[in-house]
Amino acid sequence: MKLSDTQARFQALVTARDSVEAIVARDAQARASVEEMVVGDARLSAVDRLDVYAGMYFVRIHDVLAQELARTAAVLGAEAFHGLVTDYLAACPPSHPSLREAGARLPNFLAGHPLAAERPWLAELARLERARLEVFDGPDAAPVTMAALREVPPERFGLIRFRLIPAHRLLTNRFAVSEIWRSDGPGDAPPRAEPETLIVWRRDVTVFHRPADADEARWLPALAGADGLVFTELGASLAGRHGLVGAARRAFELSALWTAEELLLVSD
Amino acid sequence: MDGFPDLGTGIGLRPPHYADVAAGRARIDWIEVITENFMVEGGNPRRVLRAVRERYPVVLHGVSMSLGSVDPLDERYLDGLAALARETEPAWISDHLCWSSFGGHSAHDLWPLPYTEEALRHVAARIARVQERLGRRILVENVSSYLTYRHSTMSEWEFLGALAETADCGLLLDVNNVFVSARNHGFDPIAFLDGVPRARVGQFHIAGHSDKGTHLLDTHDHPVCDDVWALYRHAVRSFGARSTLLERDDDIPSLDELCAEARRAAAMTAEADRVGERGVSPREPVAGGPGPSQGPVR
Repeated sequence: MKLSDTQARFQALVTARDSVEAIVARDAQARASVEEMVVGDARLSAVDRLDVYAGMYFVRIHDVLAQELARTAAVLGAEAFHGLVTDYLAACPPSHPSLREAGARLPNFLAGHPLAAERPWLAELARLERARLEVFDGPDAAPVTMAALREVPPERFGLIRFRLIPAHRLLTNRFAVSEIWRSDGPGDAPPRAEPETLIVWRRDVTVFHRPADADEARWLPALAGADGLVFTELGASLAGRHGLVGAARRAFELSALWTAEELLLVSD
Repeated sequence: MDGFPDLGTGIGLRPPHYADVAAGRARIDWIEVITENFMVEGGNPRRVLRAVRERYPVVLHGVSMSLGSVDPLDERYLDGLAALARETEPAWISDHLCWSSFGGHSAHDLWPLPYTEEALRHVAARIARVQERLGRRILVENVSSYLTYRHSTMSEWEFLGALAETADCGLLLDVNNVFVSARNHGFDPIAFLDGVPRARVGQFHIAGHSDKGTHLLDTHDHPVCDDVWALYRHAVRSFGARSTLLERDDDIPSLDELCAEARRAAAMTAEADRVGERGVSPREPVAGGPGPSQGPVR
């Protein structure tokens, strides 16, 4: 048997939705294929031996996903989460060498899964959990400090180009899932159907998230872009909402807040 | 073996011990890290690795190179590994004799190869390519396995020996994996150790496993059992001093407890030195021999 044939047969059996035992019980050709490929003995049949690998494949990924999406898993309960992972692996088998990436597509998959019909906010909770994980070991950067900004001559301050640190995510939600972040599980009230923008970021080695207010929700996406945003653009854009004087004050408030939170880089 | 100096006794770096090891509080000679856990862009993992590297020799031990797969080698993975190696300057790099991807799908497991001439040529060529890409020889580890392919034409140790010679790589001999596979397949673990080319062995692994009744499972969630220690003692006497690493991935004890367990390996090496037994390969009885004829393993 060629190596490629061996690997194709092995993987098809071990990563299938059903156990190898269930597959060969309904498919005589699959049973013959197993017997042709694997040696069985009195302790473990060839099928049993392949099922050792099938079990390990599923459990390892399931357990990592349950840990990474602990809140989502708690809301669903063990049985439903097990079913979700079964469906997910069948639809989206891992394709990255790092196990950390195995769950990258799970929030979007959950959004289209029947389990989301009862809890349309659940995929957004999963997305928040996933974002926190991605930010945890995202790229390092040196955020601008208040001390550095104080060194900028006043006439040049308006020309400073800010952008967000790379270790961040902006999430636009239909539900206020940040309200239930501290939820202990399915017994708690669901989040309100209240749209929110969440900023998720890492400060030093700790991950934070919080809702953005209306001004931030408008400008954080621009700050997230490769070109960032010049300070005067920020102030001008706020004028319609706050008036000229109020806009300048608000622009200073926001830049001070984001600097204190270590969210900003200064671009040349 | 050249390129793989005896670093003494080490432990695998795991998250519960990140802070203590980074602070230099591990009473141990060296640290092995799971490569993929640190092939990230930044944040705490990379910071921890830098701190650990400042205090200990570090070895990069991968689980996803998929040396045996018929898929093309993952060049992006190799680029990431090469970059991490440049930054970390590990004592060496190791991975497993297995395959873990097919058709672009990753298994995140260590699947066994058939021991055939075709597989030997295939894996040797890939190891040579990896070594060329990394600019260094690597160590390749024997895995625990739970099945034997009907079309295998040689033993695992014959395969490992031929592979090391053909690819000019080193071997990471996992003594626990030898023990687990011996039980699961009914071969003599001493025959395995005695069949491996000594000059190619650059490192030992020791670990615990679980007894599932019908088979042993390589779970790394128990202390090293007496039978594996006995096999390790045989390995030390047979091969001489080699860097030895204790793996623990679940039910992880305190750092002090883990290091104390690992240092038992150092004591065995010292004992072998004292009595001048190293390199003589005495054939003493070691538990874990042929299984099937003895009925279910309990």
